[in-house]
Amino acid sequence: MRQEIEVIRQILDGDTESFRLLVERYERPVIRMIRNITNDIESCEDIAQDVFFTAYRKLASFDPVRGNFSTWLFTITRNKSINAMKKKRALSMSELPEEGDSHNPYDEVAEKEFFRRLDSALSKLPSRQKRVFVLAELEKLPYEEIAQIEGVRVGTIKSRINRAKKRLRTSFKVFKGDIS
Amino acid sequence: MKIDEVYGAWKDEKVRIDIRESFSDEVMCKIYQYEQGRGGLLFDRQQIVEFIYSHRLVRVVLVAAAGIAGFVRIAFVVFMFLAS
Repeated sequence: MRQEIEVIRQILDGDTESFRLLVERYERPVIRMIRNITNDIESCEDIAQDVFFTAYRKLASFDPVRGNFSTWLFTITRNKSINAMKKKRALSMSELPEEGDSHNPYDEVAEKEFFRRLDSALSKLPSRQKRVFVLAELEKLPYEEIAQIEGVRVGTIKSRINRAKKRLRTSFKVFKGDIS
Repeated sequence: MKIDEVYGAWKDEKVRIDIRESFSDEVMCKIYQYEQGRGGLLFDRQQIVEFIYSHRLVRVVLVAAAGIAGFVRIAFVVFMFLAS
């Protein structure tokens, strides 16, 4: 954290190349987050480039007292993802593969079917629930940080995650078992 | 394989990611181009627009100033009309 603030100070003092350290550190979570929120595999790297470019331009407005750099960067990522989704419905329902008929999760085919159903269920989640699910379950961010990114209370985040899991769970009534 | 194991495997798959090696170079290239373009300008128009958008008070002041300017202009025209 302190090291990061030092890097940011260097960038603001004119050492542009130091920004590469931040890009290399956060490129994976940022691209992954965009990909999982927008379902847009093709343009997620372009959106991520825009995220880092915006972060660079607005770096002076980052206030370490108000939160971590990662939270600030993920907030930009969230906003860019929402904008990208507004511009283009990344994966329309007609593009989703046909549903299969497998009910047995104990073989490879059924596992693929399970994955496909989960992908489909995730893409059908309301945008707010999907973002929170991605941040909590896939990025493993603490609820407090997600609350800061989303600009809501921790209780709201918990409730959105519960609702997202419930929706995912109901998509799999055909399978025996449960989602923890 | 239990259902929660498959769910865990799905999450692992969602987390796995391949990024093109040149990604950070491309970002830095864009930034250097931006810096080069910015060097010659005294005022960065885009930055001014962003500054206005990101500060509510600035927007309020600008709208108020425009309103006052408009009102003064109309009052002046009315005054000139009545005076003549």
